[in-house]
Amino acid sequence: MLRITGGTVYDPANGINGVVKDICIDDGRIVSNVEGGRTIDATGTIVFPGGVDVHTHVAGGALNFARGLVPENQRAARKFLHGTNRRAGIGGMTPTTFATGYLYAGMGWTTVNEAAVPILSAKHTHEELHDTPIVDKSCLVLMANNEMVLDLIEAGEVERAQHVVAWLIWAAKVYGVKAVNPGGVAAWKWGKNASKLHETIEGYTSLTPAAIIAGLAKIIDDLKLPHPLHIHCNNLGNPGNISTTIETMKVLEGRRAHLAHLQFHAYGGDDWPTMRSGAVEIAEAFEKYPNLTTDAGAVLFGDAVTITADGPWQHMLHQLTGRKWGNLDVENETGCGIVPYVYRDRHTVNAVQWAVGLELLLLIKDPWRVYLTTDHPNGGCFWRYPEIIRLLMDAEFRKEQIKRLSTDAQSRIVLGEINREYSLSEIAIITSAGPARALGLSHKGHLGVGADADVTIYPAKPANDEMLFSYPRYVLKGGEVVVEEGEIRAVSEGREFVFRPAYDAAIEDYIRPLFQKVYTMSFENYPVEIERVRGAEIVNS
Amino acid sequence: MGGKITCTLGEVKNRADFIVYWGGNPAECHPRHFTKYTLTQKGKFVPEGRKGRTMVLVDIRETPSARAADIFLQIRPGKDFEVAATMRALLKGQRVNEAVVAETGTTVAQLQDIVDRMKRAKFGVIFFGMGLSMTRGKHMNSGSILMLAAEMNAFTKFVCMPMRGHGNVTGADVVLRWTTGYPFGINLSRGYPRFNPGEFSTVDLLVRGDNDAALILGADPGATMPQPGIDHLARIPTIVLDPKVTHTSRLSRVHITTAVTGISAPGTAYRMDEIPLPLRPALKSPYPTDEEVIRRIRQVVAAKPAWAPAPHEGSGLS
Amino acid sequence: MITLTLKDQPHVPLEAETISPDVLSTLSTDSIRALPVQLGKRQRRLDDFFSVEGDASDEIQIRGDARKVKWIGRGMTRGRIHIDGNAGMHLGAHMTGGTIEVTGDVTDWVGAEMSGGFIRVRGNAGGQIGAAYRGSLSGMTDGTIIVDGTAGLEVGMRMKRGTIFVGGVVRDFAGLQMKGGTIVLASGAELRTGAWMMRGTIVSLKPITMLPTFSSAAVYNPTVLRLIARYLRTFGLSLPVDDDAGGYRRYNGDTCVPGRGEILVWEPRSA
Repeated sequence: MLRITGGTVYDPANGINGVVKDICIDDGRIVSNVEGGRTIDATGTIVFPGGVDVHTHVAGGALNFARGLVPENQRAARKFLHGTNRRAGIGGMTPTTFATGYLYAGMGWTTVNEAAVPILSAKHTHEELHDTPIVDKSCLVLMANNEMVLDLIEAGEVERAQHVVAWLIWAAKVYGVKAVNPGGVAAWKWGKNASKLHETIEGYTSLTPAAIIAGLAKIIDDLKLPHPLHIHCNNLGNPGNISTTIETMKVLEGRRAHLAHLQFHAYGGDDWPTMRSGAVEIAEAFEKYPNLTTDAGAVLFGDAVTITADGPWQHMLHQLTGRKWGNLDVENETGCGIVPYVYRDRHTVNAVQWAVGLELLLLIKDPWRVYLTTDHPNGGCFWRYPEIIRLLMDAEFRKEQIKRLSTDAQSRIVLGEINREYSLSEIAIITSAGPARALGLSHKGHLGVGADADVTIYPAKPANDEMLFSYPRYVLKGGEVVVEEGEIRAVSEGREFVFRPAYDAAIEDYIRPLFQKVYTMSFENYPVEIERVRGAEIVNS
Repeated sequence: MGGKITCTLGEVKNRADFIVYWGGNPAECHPRHFTKYTLTQKGKFVPEGRKGRTMVLVDIRETPSARAADIFLQIRPGKDFEVAATMRALLKGQRVNEAVVAETGTTVAQLQDIVDRMKRAKFGVIFFGMGLSMTRGKHMNSGSILMLAAEMNAFTKFVCMPMRGHGNVTGADVVLRWTTGYPFGINLSRGYPRFNPGEFSTVDLLVRGDNDAALILGADPGATMPQPGIDHLARIPTIVLDPKVTHTSRLSRVHITTAVTGISAPGTAYRMDEIPLPLRPALKSPYPTDEEVIRRIRQVVAAKPAWAPAPHEGSGLS
Repeated sequence: MITLTLKDQPHVPLEAETISPDVLSTLSTDSIRALPVQLGKRQRRLDDFFSVEGDASDEIQIRGDARKVKWIGRGMTRGRIHIDGNAGMHLGAHMTGGTIEVTGDVTDWVGAEMSGGFIRVRGNAGGQIGAAYRGSLSGMTDGTIIVDGTAGLEVGMRMKRGTIFVGGVVRDFAGLQMKGGTIVLASGAELRTGAWMMRGTIVSLKPITMLPTFSSAAVYNPTVLRLIARYLRTFGLSLPVDDDAGGYRRYNGDTCVPGRGEILVWEPRSA
C-alpha cells in the first residue's frame, strides 16, 4: 500500500490538469484510498502516468544484428555495472537488454512497444523481451511483405487472408500488426523497391502497395485488434515523399491506422538539392483523417543507428554515405537493413530532418493523435526524449537552436515561425496517455482508479542544469518503487501483452503445405510456444 | 568494414541461382545442406531445382563436395585472401597483377569468368567455411567474403553466410550479443562487458596463461588447443561440464557429467542463419542438465560475500 | 621523478591505467601507493605490485618485467614514462602527448588510437601497433611510434596520420586499411602488406610479397622520403634516399577497394 501525497498531478485521460492531489496505490493498481502503508512526500513534484513508447526497436534479430555491427559504439556507451540485483550491461544506441529496462525505467517510461518482429525469429524477440526488466511490453509482427498474405491479397481471397493473418498473429504471440514499406521489402528480395503505391510490385502480376495497405487495414479492423494497422509508409526518407504519405492516407479510406515515425515521410522538394520540410502539407492532410494517429520519429543531432525493415533504403544510405551496412532478408516474410549514422546540424538535410519532427509535433493540433518517439535508434536514442520535450515546451530555446543551422537549412523549414509551446498536460498526453489509448491498453497512460500503478514523479524544478524530465525522483511500476533518486531500487519482470485473434482452426490445413514448400523448418517448429512468452497477458478479441 | 549482407536459408532455397561454397566441405560437414537448403530443392522462384542453379566450389583440394559442383576452383593453400581481393578488383574493373594472381593457382581469366557469372546471377550466395576462418588470415579471410558479397549488390542481389561449426555456436553468439553487446571473447572482470579479440578470446588467453581458473562447457579445448594452452589448463583448476569424459576432462580437477542437450535436455538452438529452433528431448537422462548444474554453482557463488568491483570513475576503460 | 619497481609479478594481467603522468603529477607518495589497479576481478593497490619512490612528477620510471601490466600511459597528455624492462598491452593507447620509452619488449596494441606523442620500444612489439580497436573507424591520428625490434600482425591498421617505424620483420597485414600516415618497415614484412589500404605510404627497405591488387609503376626516389628520412635521422634511424645507392619501386593499390595508397620498396643498385 502506498500513498503519493502533495504532488501536482497530470492525468489528462481523466481531465486532471495540474491538480495537487493524492494518488493511492494498492496491489499494483490505483485505488481511491489507502489506510496505512508507505507515504511518499511528493511536494514540489510533478506526478505523471508512466511513459508509454509506442514505437521503438529494442529486441530481436534486427536489433541484435545491429549490436554486432558496432562494437565501437558499445565501447563508448554508458556502462551498467553488475550488482546484487543488477545485471551488467551496455547502454548507448543499441543497449543490451538489461540496460534497456534500466534506461527506460530510469527515465520514467514503463511500457514499451517493440515495433518490428518477424514471425520466423519471434522466439528470439520474446527471449530478449523477457531479459528486458521492469517495463511492460507489447510487440508488432511484420506483415506487409509476408508472401503468403500478399499472394492471397493479390488473388482477392480476402476472407482466407484474414484467417491467415490471424493465425500468424497468434503464431508470433504478438499484440499488433506492422506494415513496413508494403511490397518494397518483397521487391528488395530481387534488389528492387516499391515506391509507387499504385504500381505493380516486382515479382507480382497485379499486386500494388495500395492493395496491401487497404487489404491489411481492413483485416486488422475486422479482427478487432486493439491497436490499428501500424504503417511505415512507402518511400521513406526520399525528398518529395509527402505525396506518397498523403496518398497512403487516402488509400486507407477513413479506416483507423497509425502512421509510424511521420518525420521520415514528410519531405518536400524533388531531389536532395531541393529537399525541404513538408510538415505543413502533412499536418494539413492529417487533419482530414480523424481515424489516424501517428508518432513523430523525431531526429536529434548526434549518433544514431538506423535499423529498419526498409532494406532498399538502407542500401541507398550505405551507397550515399559509405557507412557500414548490414542486411538480413527473412524468407517469405520481411528483412532488415542497418546503417550506423550521425545527424549533423551543419548538414542541410539533417537540419531539415531535425526541424520536421518538431514541426509535426507542433503543427498537428491534437496531442491525442501525435506521440513522442524518435523511432529509436533511427532518429536518436530514446533516453534523449527529455531533449525533445524541452524543445516543445520552450519556444525561445527552440529558436536559439534554429539559429545554429545554416541559412540555407533555415530557408527550407517553417519551425522558426511556430510559437506554440507544449503544456505539461500536453506532454503527459504525447508521452503516455495518447500512446496508451492508441495501443488500446486501457490500464496504462492514466492514474484513474483501476489503472496499473505506473507512476513517474519528476521534480517540478530540476536541479542544476538538468532538463525537466531527465531525472525522475521516483518511478513506480505496478505500485513498486523501481527507481528512487536515479538509483534502481527494485528489478521486477514486466508483463508481455499478447493478442489472441479469432480464426478458423482449419486454416492450418491451408497454411501447412504452403509452409513446407517455401520455408526451411518443420511446421511444428514455427509458432512461438506460449510458455516462451514469460509474464504473458493474453487479450482476446 | 563494408558490412554484413545476409539472409535466412529459405531465401537461398527459394531464389538462389548462383551458389558458392568457399573453404568448406558441406557434403561431409553439413550433410543436409545441399538437399535441404541450397541445391536440389525446388524453390518458389527456382522451380527447376538443381537445373536452375550453378554451384561453384572453391577449395584447396578436391573433396566429395566437388562432385556436386558445376565449377570447381582449386586454389593453393593460404591464397583465399588473394583470390577474394582479385575478384573484388575485377568486379570493379580495376587492375590486377597477372603473375601474382597465377601464384594463387588460378588465372585472371578464370576469376573474371566467375565474377561475370556472379554479376549475371539473379540471386547469389557465398557460404564460407572454416577453411577460411581457421587458416592464415582468419577474420580477414571471412571479412574478404563479407566485402565481396556486399560489393556485388551494386550489380545484383548477393548475400553471404558463414558455415558454422557444431555445438550451437550461433546460439551462444546471439545470446551473448543481447546480454553483453558482444559476440564472444567477453571480459566481465571490471563489472561490465569488454571485448577485444586476441586479448580476451579463449585460445589467446589460455596460451598466454592469463587466467587462473577455467570452466569448460560444451567444448573440448584439451583436444584442439596449442600445447601451451593445454598445459595451462592442466596447471590451473579446471572444471568440465560434458556428457562425455573428454580430453579436457582428463586434465581437469572436476568433471561433471551432464545430459546431452537436444537428446535429453531441452533448450533452443540457433541455426547458422540465426533462426531459433526448439529442441525437444526424446530421451531421459540420469544426469542433470548443464543449466541445472550452472544454476546450482551460481547459487553457491551468490551466497559468498560480494566482491563487486568498486567503480573508479575516470578510468572509463572500454 | 617517480620510480615504480615491480616487486611482485601479477599471476594474471594487471590493468594499471592509473600509471600515467596526468594521474601521478599531483599525488603524494602515499597517494600513489594507494592508487587502484585491477588484478583480474579484484581491485588492488598499486603498491601491492610496485614499490614507489618519489612524488608529484610527470616523469615516471618503471623497472621490471611488466609484460603482464596493461594500459600504462593510457590517454596521457604530457610527461615522460621510461620503462627499464618490458610492458604489456595497450601501452600509450589513446595518448595525445608526452613520451614513452621502453628498453625491452611490449605486447599488442602499443599506441592504439593515439593522437599525439612519441613512443619508442627498443625491443620487440606485438601486433596492432597504432591500430584501431575492433569496429573503430580509425587508428592513430598522429604521433610517432618506433619499434627497433620485430612486430606482429596488423601494424598501423586503419591509421589516419602519424609515423610508425619498425626495425625488425613484421607479420601479416601491415598497413591494413590504412587511411593515411607513414609506415617504414626496415626489415620488410610477411604477407598481405597494405591490404585494403585507401591512402598513406608504406616504405619497405627489403623486398616483400605483394598482393595481386598492387601494380608497380616506376622506380625512383620520391622527394617526400627525404623529409621522412630527415625526421627519422633525429632518432638515429636511417632511410636510404641516395640515387647512387638505388631507388624505390612504387606500387599503387589496393585496387580491390579501390585505394590510392602507395607501397615503396627499396631496390639497391647492383654494383
